[in-house]
Amino acid sequence: MMNTPQQVKNPSTSLKSRFITRFLGALTKINAEDPISSPSPTRIFQRYRRIKVASNKSMAYSVRSRRIWSRAMLSRFRSRRSAFSGRRSSVKTTNCTTINVTINENKTAKGGLDMQTDELRELVPGGEAMDVCNLLDETAHYIKCLTTQVQVMRKIVDFCHLSK
Amino acid sequence: MADFSEQSYRQPFPFLDIDPTMESLTQFAELNPQSFILDNSAFNFQTFFPLSINDSLFSNQASQGETMSGFIHNSNQSSVSAQPIFSAKTEVEEISNKRKALDILESSSGNSSSSSPQVSETGIKRRNNSGRGKRAKSNEKEMEKPKEVVHVRARRGQATDSHSLAERVRRGKINERLRCLQDIVPGCYKTMGMALMLDEIINYVQSLQNQVEFLSMKLTAASTYYDFNSESDAMERMQRGKAEEAKELERLMREGYVGIGGVACFHSSSTYGPL
Repeated sequence: MMNTPQQVKNPSTSLKSRFITRFLGALTKINAEDPISSPSPTRIFQRYRRIKVASNKSMAYSVRSRRIWSRAMLSRFRSRRSAFSGRRSSVKTTNCTTINVTINENKTAKGGLDMQTDELRELVPGGEAMDVCNLLDETAHYIKCLTTQVQVMRKIVDFCHLSK
Repeated sequence: MADFSEQSYRQPFPFLDIDPTMESLTQFAELNPQSFILDNSAFNFQTFFPLSINDSLFSNQASQGETMSGFIHNSNQSSVSAQPIFSAKTEVEEISNKRKALDILESSSGNSSSSSPQVSETGIKRRNNSGRGKRAKSNEKEMEKPKEVVHVRARRGQATDSHSLAERVRRGKINERLRCLQDIVPGCYKTMGMALMLDEIINYVQSLQNQVEFLSMKLTAASTYYDFNSESDAMERMQRGKAEEAKELERLMREGYVGIGGVACFHSSSTYGPL
């Protein structure tokens, strides 16, 4: 039985390490593209936006398509990219509207907690197309990934400060 | 009040005749709907009241006798659960309905493991008694409204609908997920209702997202003059940071751009174009 290297799961590639890999790669790339010593505010703001997007994107790619929220986030990035090049992906919007109809029916059954579940849906990417049960599940995983993200970024900032 | 309760307490003991017992029960329920909780002195006395009646009711049915001891143990602990019995019993007409009342007692004192095999048995019995529970549905809803904190569920008249069964399963799933979230999110206490917990969860997610934004701003400032590619930094990190992460960072620094070229996600520089 031959196990190809892709099939054998490396136990040391946790979510954290995958995220660190990608994010640091993105940071090096941003540093390489941008002229480092350009203090103009617009440049700084652009850089900040890039880093933020890189952080979210690295996390979404580290989770791959295993979660609904990561899939939604990735398709959001892709549609944003394709919108720049002039193409429109309207498939996703139609899917959302059909699913929203069923969600409304479920809401009346639950009653009273619609406001909070709506808010949660807005916060979690891809939350509009989920029922409450899956929403809570995705929220838990999303929180876990967000805490990882925050932890890693904090460490990187600390290292940057320390090594100055 | 004490006299009346004593009198009605004495009544069910000697006989198996059900209807006068029920009448006294209904009168008792009407007179003291809320004194069960408020009146602490006579509380144990009153909790024994339904048990004695059940004893007389079910003395015919020997199979139920084993569960009685379970109830007597449990009633002392779950004292609030004694109340729903009375409002439920205003409906009693036949013995089959009293069997359902037994179900209520079981579900309300459902903490004990001894009652769990009985519950599955009575679940089947409940499904068989389909038509009689319809009037009890309104009672069940009345009972459920004030009881949401105590998690008492009266399942009378609800078991037969496939809809309500599915809804119960769904609610159980949601509660399970909420419990997991409770462990993850700091500041969530079990005593809080679902609304409060959801509020906490929403606040936590928002704060985490804000933290990511703030940290990326900090990173922008910190990384402007920082070279991620140099190896010396990796060594510094090893000294300061945690061993695992530092090793990974070092590994990445050593790989340099070679690894990055293979990473699929950043194959287009236009992703970081004007946003």
